[in-house]
Amino acid sequence: MKLKKYGTLVRAGLMESLQYRASAFVLVIGNLLYLIIIYFLWKAIYASAGTDTVSGMTFSETLIYLVLATALFNFMEMYIVWDMGRSIQSGDMVLMLLKPMEYRSYLFWSYSGEHIMQFITTFLPTFLIVCIVTHGAIPLGINLVYFVISVVMALLINYYINFFVGTICLYTESIWGINIMKQVIVMLLSGVTVPIAFFPETLQKIVYCLPFQSIYNAPLTLLLDGQPESGNVLSILVTQFLWCAVMGIACRLFWKLSIRQITVNGG
Amino acid sequence: MKENNLAFYLKIYFKIISQDIKSKMSYRSDFIISTIGMIFTNIAGFVSFWIIFRNFPSINGWTYNEILFLYGFSLISLTPVQCLFDNNWNLRTHVYSGDFIKYYFRPINMFFYYQSEIFDVKGLGQLAFGIGTLAYSWHKIGLAVTPLSILMVIVFIITASLVMIALQNAAAATCFWLQNSFFILDFVNKFRDYARYPITIFNPVFKFIFTFVMPIAFIAYYPSLVILRPDSIPLLSWLSPLFGIVFFFLSYKFWMFGASKYSGTGS
Repeated sequence: MKLKKYGTLVRAGLMESLQYRASAFVLVIGNLLYLIIIYFLWKAIYASAGTDTVSGMTFSETLIYLVLATALFNFMEMYIVWDMGRSIQSGDMVLMLLKPMEYRSYLFWSYSGEHIMQFITTFLPTFLIVCIVTHGAIPLGINLVYFVISVVMALLINYYINFFVGTICLYTESIWGINIMKQVIVMLLSGVTVPIAFFPETLQKIVYCLPFQSIYNAPLTLLLDGQPESGNVLSILVTQFLWCAVMGIACRLFWKLSIRQITVNGG
Repeated sequence: MKENNLAFYLKIYFKIISQDIKSKMSYRSDFIISTIGMIFTNIAGFVSFWIIFRNFPSINGWTYNEILFLYGFSLISLTPVQCLFDNNWNLRTHVYSGDFIKYYFRPINMFFYYQSEIFDVKGLGQLAFGIGTLAYSWHKIGLAVTPLSILMVIVFIITASLVMIALQNAAAATCFWLQNSFFILDFVNKFRDYARYPITIFNPVFKFIFTFVMPIAFIAYYPSLVILRPDSIPLLSWLSPLFGIVFFFLSYKFWMFGASKYSGTGS
């Protein structure tokens, strides 16, 4: 049974994340403080601007965007590059390769449980609080459906990017450096730290040609749009789908190529 | 030879550290990639900073160059924690695996020995970036360069570093009680990115919290006022060296207290 083994991995991930309740608590407090800082920072920024709208976004729009982007980021965060890098360094990779399951899908499914847990503990509460506090600034309609579809693809793209970068670790034996480069590029170009609307025009054009904005900016755009035009929605979803396909194939090829020439230290 | 004097400790320090640097140099590619990663982080931080200021001329009465000054100041004052206290990140693993027990058998101060084991060379890139930023903004604001001001900057940067080191020590030491303390370290680490904004943007409650509870305001804001706003230096700025030393001392005591509670893993 193919599905059953995936289910087992998901459950294992769920149970593992339940194990660390203390860390979940720290995460919640940390996020709260982080959001408070964001709130005051942008409030001060807008107060100094003198106008209500900057680059087409009002203060509350910017804030809602950033709060949800942070929630989305925490929900999708994964440490695959570290996992892969460590198992290369320790030699555990050999054991992973011997498993009767493709390493790529093994990693993906074992992270799914954690993602479900994170969705429930971080994204959902944040979303509900924003909904209540802002009195319906987030439209609740068909956009929610688009959002869910978009998030699933975003998760896949995020996973593929991480896996791709993790595969680079097979060659470099450097984890920290590779991981931090990935992290800063994704964070900057996906619009998590600063909404893409604030970027200079040429940079915006470049950003829309890259896969990173499909992870956070795309689902958020769909979520915050109350009167979605079908053309617009379609183009966002198709872009995401294309990136899923491209990154998926790239990962597959790169992994197949690399696995032939890895050297594992002992084990 | 007297075993408690500074010269003795310095000699040991350089002996231990040179071993670490030698072992790091044998992984040359890792070293190069990590350094590039560090440069990436700084550039990305700077770009998001620049994007915000493209849209807004000032924050809360602070001009672009003044905020840049804070930014450079915080980068420099974060260098010691990056370079000299990086082993705090491994504390959790040492404690968990039982390796930590070996530090009890060293005839010198445990905290000292533990921290001296690792010297993180890539932090030096950040230092260079920070000095460049500080010098540029210093020049742009048109501040005078006098021996006194240089001396003050150095003194206040050192004390600002002590605060960050203290925060990290305390965060790392929680692993003596909590199993998954990575989140706490990561949490503290994320906050240092916000140390570079003027504390005046917060309301009184959070001003208090970020001054006394999570003293990130001492990492850049209070100490830089001495240079930036010489006409109205608040008392807290003058007191910041004292606070730095007190925070550092408390965190050291906390760290050692945690270590004294450790009973090993039995292996």
